[in-house]
Amino acid sequence: MRLDRLNSLECFSLMYLQFYKFIYLHPFLKREPVLYNCMVVVMLLGFSARQIQAQTPFDGIMMPKNNACVFAGYSTGSFNQYWEGSKLRKNETIATVTRKSYAWMAAVGIWENLNVYAGFPWIQTSSSEPNGGKLAGAEGLQDLELAVKYQLLNAKGKLGTTRAVATIDFTTPISNYLSDYQPYSLGLGAPQWTYQALVSHQFSNLIYVRANAAYVWRGNTQAERIYYYANGSHYSDWMDVPSAWNFGAAIGAYLLGDDLRLEASYSDFASQDGDDIRPYNASQPTNKVEATQVGFLLQYIPDFAKGFGLIATHHRTLEGRNTGKVNATSFGLTYQFSYRKNGTNHEN
Amino acid sequence: MKTKLYIALCTFLLITACEKEIPTHYVYDSYAFSNVDPEGGNWKTTLISSPAQIVLAEPNAVNSAEYIAELTQLKSAQASLSQDVKNDMAYWTNNPVLRWNEIARELIAKYNLIPGPNDDGTYTLPNAANPAGPPPFPFAHPPYACRALAYLSVAQLDGLITAWHYKFKYNRVCAYVADQQVQNFFQPNAIPAYPSDEAVIATVSKEILSAMFPLEKDYLANLELKHIAAIKASGACVQSDVDAGVLIAKEIAKVALQRASSDGMKNAQAPKAIADSIKNDAFTRFGWSWSNQEIPQRPIGLTPLFGKVRMWNVPNIELVRPGPPPAIGSAAYEASIVELKEYAGNVTTERRRIANYWSDGLGTYTPPGHWNEIATGIIVDHRLNPIRSSRVMAYMNMAIMDGGISCWDAKYYYHYPRPIQNIPGFKTILGTPNFPAYTSGHSVFSSAAATMLGYFFPSQGSLFEQMAKEAAISRLYGGIHWTFDASAGLEQGKSVAQYTIEVAKRDGAE
Repeated sequence: MRLDRLNSLECFSLMYLQFYKFIYLHPFLKREPVLYNCMVVVMLLGFSARQIQAQTPFDGIMMPKNNACVFAGYSTGSFNQYWEGSKLRKNETIATVTRKSYAWMAAVGIWENLNVYAGFPWIQTSSSEPNGGKLAGAEGLQDLELAVKYQLLNAKGKLGTTRAVATIDFTTPISNYLSDYQPYSLGLGAPQWTYQALVSHQFSNLIYVRANAAYVWRGNTQAERIYYYANGSHYSDWMDVPSAWNFGAAIGAYLLGDDLRLEASYSDFASQDGDDIRPYNASQPTNKVEATQVGFLLQYIPDFAKGFGLIATHHRTLEGRNTGKVNATSFGLTYQFSYRKNGTNHEN
Repeated sequence: MKTKLYIALCTFLLITACEKEIPTHYVYDSYAFSNVDPEGGNWKTTLISSPAQIVLAEPNAVNSAEYIAELTQLKSAQASLSQDVKNDMAYWTNNPVLRWNEIARELIAKYNLIPGPNDDGTYTLPNAANPAGPPPFPFAHPPYACRALAYLSVAQLDGLITAWHYKFKYNRVCAYVADQQVQNFFQPNAIPAYPSDEAVIATVSKEILSAMFPLEKDYLANLELKHIAAIKASGACVQSDVDAGVLIAKEIAKVALQRASSDGMKNAQAPKAIADSIKNDAFTRFGWSWSNQEIPQRPIGLTPLFGKVRMWNVPNIELVRPGPPPAIGSAAYEASIVELKEYAGNVTTERRRIANYWSDGLGTYTPPGHWNEIATGIIVDHRLNPIRSSRVMAYMNMAIMDGGISCWDAKYYYHYPRPIQNIPGFKTILGTPNFPAYTSGHSVFSSAAATMLGYFFPSQGSLFEQMAKEAAISRLYGGIHWTFDASAGLEQGKSVAQYTIEVAKRDGAE
C-alpha cells in the first residue's frame, strides 16, 4: 500500500469543499461553476504535491512536513439555461453567460497531519453576443480563501487504508465587487465558513472511494440598495445568504504506475432556505440554491519534470434550483517543493 | 493542533451568533402627535365634494346604556388579550396610514415583474379580466405603482377628512377617557373617537388595494381583519366607533374606484397598431424613434397611452410638456455620448453605489415607492398625526402620478432612442427599460416628490432636491439615459408639482 498516495487523498476534502462552494454559491452563475471548478483544481494542489513527493524517494511518506506547493489554474464555465425555481429555462436577455477564472493558491504541510491553504481568484464574467440585456460583465479579484485540514484517522487494514479528514475553510471578499449583480457578480460577497468531514478508503488494487459531508455557513452580503423583495419586504442593504449542506462521493484509480489518476465524482448541494428566482427576474444572493453535479478529473504527474503536476477537470450540472445549468472545464499546473530540506519534524 | 480547531470552531459560533436580523417592515412605535388638527374636517377633499356627502348619524352618548354595554364588551376583551393581538397593536400603531402605505409598496414589489416571452417568442400581456394569468395581473411597473399609491393616499385623506369632520362635530371621547378601567395601549392623543380614524384607514386601504391587486383580496381582507381587531383592543374605540369608520371607508373607496375605473388607465397599454402609429408619428415629426432592443423584441413599449390618463391637478398635459430633446447628431447629443462612455468606462465605487441605490427596477417598489418610504421616515420624525400624514402622502402621490403621466406623454410624443439603441457596443450596469428615453421617469418622479416634500418640510427642502438630482444622474451612471433626459426630467417634475402645491395651498390645512 502506498501510504503517500493515501496521504494525498486528504486533499480531496478541500477539493470537494471548493467544488460545491463555487459551483453552487450562486443562483445562476453568480460565483459559479467556472470559478469553483478552478478552485477544485486549486485545491488539488495539495494532492499533487504529495503525489510528486511520492515520487521522491528521500521524503517518502513524511513528505507533508516542510513541503509547500503552489498552484496556478484557469477555468471556464458557462450556461445558456438556468433553473428559475425548479423550472429550467433560457433567457436571451443574458444569452450564454460565461465565467472565466484565474486562480492562485499555496498549500503548506505544517505537520504530518495538518495542512494549511491560502489562495484567491481573479474572475471575469460576460454574456455572449447578441443578447437582449446589453449588460456589462464584471471582472476583478474575488475572495481570499484560507483553510486548515486535519487528518483524524489513518488506519491500515487488510483491505486497504481508511482515512478521515476534517477541514475548516474560510472565505471573505477582497475587493468591492457587488454581489447583488447577478448573474455577472464575481461572488456572494459574504463571509463563509465551511466545515467538512471526509472519509476515504484506498484498496490495495489502487482503486479508491470517498465520501464527504459539509455544512456551509454563509453570512450576510451588502447590496447597494436599501430595499429588496425576497418572499416579502426587506428594509436593509444587507442580504442573508442561505447556509447550505453539501454531500459528495467519488471513485478513482491510479494508472501508469501512479503517474496518472482518474476520478469520477458526484455531489449534491442544497441551501437550507431562501427564495426562488421570480419569473423572468434576476437571481439574487438570497436565493435557495440546489445543484446536483457530476465531475471528472484527470491528474498527471510526469516523470520528466520533477515537482510539477498537471490537472484537468470537467463538471456538469444535472439538476438544480435557482442556479445555472453549468458545464465547466479547468486546467491547472502545480509545483511542489521542500522549503526546509533538513527541517526537523517536531511532531515525531 | 486541537486548540487551533477549537479556536476556529469558536470563531464560527461567534460569527453565526452575530448575523444581523434584517427588518421586514419599518419599525416605529405608537407616538404622541405633534398636533391633533381639530380643523381637519374642514380641509378640502379631493374625491368627494365634502365630508357631508357621507352621512353619519350622531353616536350614542357616553352615558347611554348602549355605550356602556360597548365599554363592558371592550373591557371584557381587554381582560383576555392574546399575545398575537398585542403584537398586532404594536405593528399597526396609532398611525396606520404609514403601515398601509408600506403594504402597498410591498405588493408593488411583488407584482413588479415584467412578463417574459413565450416559447414561440411572443409576449402575453397581463389581463385585468383574468388576473391569475399567466402572466399575473398587474405588472406593477412605475406608472401602475404611482397610480396605486395616489389612489390609496387620496382615498385615505378624504376618509380622514370625513372622519375628522364627524369626530369634532360629535366629540365623543375615547373609551379610555370615558372609563378609567379601559387600558389605552397607544400614546394618548386628544382626538375624539367617533368615527375611528384607524378603522377608516384599515378598510379604505384594503378596498383600494384589493382593486389594484385583485389576486391579493384574501390576503388584504385578512390584514384588515387583524388591523380592526387590534383597533378594537387598543382602548381608544368601542365597536360603534369602528363601525362608523368602516362605513366612511366603504363610501370613499367607492368614489375612488369609480374615478380609477374611468381615468384612462385601462387603455394605457395600447394595442400594437396604435403603438406603431405613435412611433411613426414621432419619426415623421423628428426623424427618430425608439425601438425595444430585447430578444425576442417586445412588440409594444410600456403603456404608450399612460400620458392620456386623467391627471389630478394639471389642467392640460401640454402645459407641462418639455421642449424637444437635442437632435440625433447635434452637439448636445454627441456630448452626452462622451459623458455616458466616460461613466461606462469608469464605474467608480461612488457612481455604482448611486446607480444601484436609486435603481428601483424590476422586482422592487419602483421610484414612487422609494419616495413613499422616504416620506414615511420624515412623517414619523415630525410626529405627524394620521390626517396630516395622509395629506403629505396624498399630495405627494398626486404630484408623482401627474409627473408620471406628463413624463409618459413626453416619452411617447418624442419617442427618443435609448443609449443602447444608438451607441454601438454600448453596455450598461442597469437594465434598460421598455420605453423611450426622453424624459427620465426617475428624474420626473423624484423631482415631483422632492418638490412636494420640500413644500411640506421646507427646512429639509435642499436635501430632497439633492436626492432628486442624485436619482436623476443615477440613470446616467447606469448607462440607460441621456444627460438631457435627466435634466429635462428634473425640470418637468418640478413644474408638474407646482400645480399640486397650488391646490395644497388652498385646501384649508395651512
